[in-house]
Formats: sequence, C-alpha cells, structure tokens
Amino acid sequence: MKMSTVVRTTTKLISPFLVTYAAYLMVYGHLSPGGGFQAGVILAVSVILLITSHGYKRVRKKFKFKEVGIIESSSAVFLVCIGLVGVLFGGFFYNFLNGGKFGSLLSGGIVPLFNIAVGLKVGAAFTFLFYILLRWVESD
Amino acid sequence: MIPTLVAFSLLAAFLVTLFETLKVKEGKIKAVFLAGILSSWLIFGYVTTKMPLSEIIGNHAKEAGIQVSLDIYSFYFILAELILFSLVAVYSMSYFKQRAKNGKIYALLLLMHAGLLGAFISRDLFNYYIYMEVASVSSFALVALSDEKGAKKAAYKYLAFSLVASYLFIFAIGIIYLKTGYLNVELIKSSVVVSREINVALAVAFSALILKAGIFPLHFWLPDAHSKAPNPISALLSGIVVKAPIYGMLLLYLALPIEESLLNLLTLIAFSSMLVGVIFALLQKNAKRLLAYHTVSQMGYVLLGIATSNPLGAIYYAFAHTLFKGGLFLSIGTLINAQKTKDLEKLTYRHDKILMTSIIMLSLAIGGIPPFIGAFGKKFLLSNLNGIRLYLFYIAGIGTLVSFTKLNYYLMEPGKAIKSNLTQKVLSLIIAVLTLAFGVYFGLVISYRDLLVILVAILTFWLLQRVGFFNITLKKYFGESMEETGREVNAYMVLFSLFLLVLLLQSF
Repeated sequence: MKMSTVVRTTTKLISPFLVTYAAYLMVYGHLSPGGGFQAGVILAVSVILLITSHGYKRVRKKFKFKEVGIIESSSAVFLVCIGLVGVLFGGFFYNFLNGGKFGSLLSGGIVPLFNIAVGLKVGAAFTFLFYILLRWVESD
Repeated sequence: MIPTLVAFSLLAAFLVTLFETLKVKEGKIKAVFLAGILSSWLIFGYVTTKMPLSEIIGNHAKEAGIQVSLDIYSFYFILAELILFSLVAVYSMSYFKQRAKNGKIYALLLLMHAGLLGAFISRDLFNYYIYMEVASVSSFALVALSDEKGAKKAAYKYLAFSLVASYLFIFAIGIIYLKTGYLNVELIKSSVVVSREINVALAVAFSALILKAGIFPLHFWLPDAHSKAPNPISALLSGIVVKAPIYGMLLLYLALPIEESLLNLLTLIAFSSMLVGVIFALLQKNAKRLLAYHTVSQMGYVLLGIATSNPLGAIYYAFAHTLFKGGLFLSIGTLINAQKTKDLEKLTYRHDKILMTSIIMLSLAIGGIPPFIGAFGKKFLLSNLNGIRLYLFYIAGIGTLVSFTKLNYYLMEPGKAIKSNLTQKVLSLIIAVLTLAFGVYFGLVISYRDLLVILVAILTFWLLQRVGFFNITLKKYFGESMEETGREVNAYMVLFSLFLLVLLLQSF
C-alpha cells in the first residue's frame, strides 16, 4: 500500500525530527516533562508513520524484524542490570551515580540511563507489535 | 537484597528472549532458564536466614519508596511458588520437547515466576498490582499455547474477566490512595480513617480479587482455562497463579479495617464456593475439569481463612493447596500425556506403581487426612469456627474425599498398559513426598478418626453411585461458536455486576 507523493515526502521529512525529539525526551526526562515511555512512543511513531505511508514491506527492509527484537530485549537486559549494579552500592535501584550541579543533565544519576533504556524498550516493542499485526493485514 | 529475588529471574527472562532472537542454541537457552530459577532459590536461602526483613527499594524514604518485605505473610507463598515452579520448569522441559522453538515458552514462564515472586514480596498495593498483572498476562499467553480445541476461547475468556478484575482493583486502589494518601500497607494502616469511601473501595477490591481468584459465583472462567491449558501450565495456574489475588486480600486485610458485615458476606461466599465447587467436581467426567472445579472449592477454604480473620489459616492452606493441587495436575497430566485422553473412564494408573502412589498420596492430602500437609491448614482454619459453620466445613471436606474416591475408583480400573514418561512420573512423586514431608515437619500424626472419615467418604461414594448421581450430565447453556462465546461473556459480566452491587450495598 503506497500513499501519494505528498504524504510520502512529508513523512520522510518529519520522521527524523520525531527521532530527535524522542532522543531529547529520553535524555532530559528528569529535567523537563517527558520521560522514557513517552519518548519510546514517539520513537515508534516515527517508524509507524513510515509504515503507513510507504507500506510494510519497504520499511521492513530498512528496519529489520530481527534488529528490532534485539534492541527490545537488550534494552530490557540493560534496565535490569542498572538495578542490579545498585545492589553493590547499597540497594536495588540505588542511585549510585551522583554528581553534577543541581538542574544540570548529570545531576540525574541513573535516571537518564533508566529513561534511555525504557525509551528504547518501549519504542522497539511498539514497532514490534505493529510488525506482527501487519503481517496479517498487509497484502501489497 | 529482597528485590534481587525478582530481578534475577526477570534478567533471565529478558536474556532468553535476546538469545532467542540471536538464534542461540536451545541448550544455552535452557541453561539460562534454569539459572534464573536457581538464582531465586539461592537468594531466597540467603535472605530467609535474616527473616523478618523489610526494605525500601532504592533506599528512599518510606513515604516515597516501594516497600518489600519477607516475613511470615510472604514466606510460605514464596516457598510454595519456588517449589512448584522449579518442579514444573523441569516438567515442562520434557513436556514441550517435541515443539520446534521453546524460547518463548521459557521466557513467559520466567516472567510469570518473576511476577509471582514480585507480588508475594510487595507491601505496596500498586506494586503488588503491577506484578500480579505481569504474572497474569504471561499466563493468558501460556493458556493460549495449548493445541486443544477451545483453548484459544478459554484464554480469551480468562483474559476478558481477568482484565475487568484488574481495572476494578486499580480503581479501588485509587480510592484508597485518595483517602489516605499512601499506597504502602503499613502507612495506610497508621493513617486510615474509616469512611464510606473506604468501605466502597474494600467492596470493589474484594469483588475484583474474588473474580481473579475464581471463587464461586465468579468461577466461570476458571474450569475452562485451567483444564484446557497445557498440563504443566495447568499445575502452575491452579497451584500458584490463583494465590496471587489471595495475597492481595491479605494485604487489604493488613491495611484496612474490614467491616463485620463484609466479613460475614465473605464467609458466606467462601462456604458456597467450598460446597458448590465440590458438587460440580463430583459431576465431571473429564479428569482435568474435575481438578479445576476442586480449585474453585479449595479457594473457598482459603477465602474462609481471611473471612474469619484467620490469616495464618489462609496462608497455611494456600501453601498446602499449592503443593497438592500442583502435584495432582502434574501426575494426572502425566497419565493424560501417555494415554492421550482426558476421559476419567478411559484413564488408568493400574499398571503404574509410581503414579498410583503419588495420586493416592495427593488425594489423601487434598482430603485433609494427616499426616499430609492439607490437614495442617485445615486445623488452623477450624480454630475459628463453631456451630453450623463447623458442620458445613466437615461436609465440604467429606465431599472432597468422595470426589477423590471417585477419581481413584475410575483410575484403578485396569486398562491398556501404556508407559508414561519417567521424568514426569518422578517429579509427580517428589511433590507427593513433599506433601507428606511438610506434614510430618509440622508435627501431624495419624488418628483413628481420620480412618473413620475415609470410611464415611467411601460409603457415601458407594451410595451416590447406587443412586446414579454420577450419571447426571450438566446442561450446557452456551454453544461452541464464537458468537455464543460473546453471549457467554456478556451473561457472566452481568452476573459479576450483580455480585459487585451486592458487595457494595451490604453496608447500607
């Protein structure tokens, strides 16, 4: 299923900006509104927009099923590992990275890392879900 | 230290999915799977030496963080989960052998493991809810795995009702949070002021948890889901997944003062579940459905513990039920695997001494005969009962024994000798021996009165058979088609709404 040239060009233009925005939300989640989950959803939307305009088959060639799966499960492994490293410093999910001036990016400790992992996990999982559902619908 | 109990099995679950996508060899995936289970045993062994223990995740303040604890309330749930899950894990490795890719099953099993452990250690209502959901979402998927006809529909029904229960439960948590400002059980207890809103929250939460635990009259999804799931999964579902809502009731009991009228209503529900579950079980011809209806009945016993303000009774009975019901599903599942039928009249264990011993031992355990563990829980439950309640309790107990006399009577009939899998047989025997060992450990002794009870049960069975009670077939109200399933879900939804109304209006 292919949409018109206008739609395809627009989505191609918008998608990279969405990815940038998602990255911003992930990294600055502890300082500004946002956070891992929202960032992940926007990340997934950038891919889903391409799927709706260009068709599943073309997008799948760029963003491979297997790679999406690897991102999804490895970010989850990373997430649990952050929590487990905290045990060495005094407690599960203990914020062991401290430093940085109040209000700066580094002041969050493990929170930005946590947000990045959640964002990647959610984004990959949403894309994964769409891929699986589209297998049954797509007919082009 | 306590949260690592959950963390390592979660890590193993994610590693299994990662290895699955990377197409790592099956052997390594299995090793990770087993390591995930072993790690929780090791940590549990280490943590129990310091019991009772309490901890806030991330070393935050108590008001801000999530509290996890390991004390008498959690200990037996976790011990039961670990024992049953480890045995089922080994069992399912042999059960799912012929399937091509098992990575997903292992990942789902580990997620369920992590979810249950997480629910059982939490002392925070919201955290408990999240982990219970992790466990139930993986169990929907595991029920749908079965190749049997109608399994997908059973999974769909299970999913629909379980989610309704979850949404209502979180609504109730919302009300409690609104009125007290806390989600932590101890803090709620210290700051709660009884009001009408809190009573509404309790009624909604209890009806949601009763639906999730499959207690009569909200048991309709349970027999289908538990009998049509793959055999090891049935053992997990009936054994331990239905105990997660019970732990939630325990948390509510610990957190909030429950009105006398609600407790009386819960007692009534518990007794009706005990008796109706047994009557339905007596009429079943399908071995797994019979066991599933016994779960309805036995969950009534566990609810009775909470309803009579006897949490220890509920805990010990839940522990006992996990062991013997899990064992029964595993051992009868082994017979079903080998003989490829679920019909009681065609199944037989006559040629198989190991399975015969384990099924008879487990039947005595579920009947509450000492020195098996079932009797210990019953002793605790009985301590708060008097008058007519005591007699009803005995009647339900004898009914259970009659039903298991029937099961053993049919299984004892000679039939074609078909060999069953040795690993599966040994695992069933291990769990049967454990029920005996725990019973002896708790100091139970045989008495002549129990022999009398068994005799009465056998006599009743003989009488009922003479009368032709077992030949009654239940009328089916709903057909097999998808539209009929929709109507069925609607009808039961109405029943659930009525139940909710009764629980809401009881205090007026």
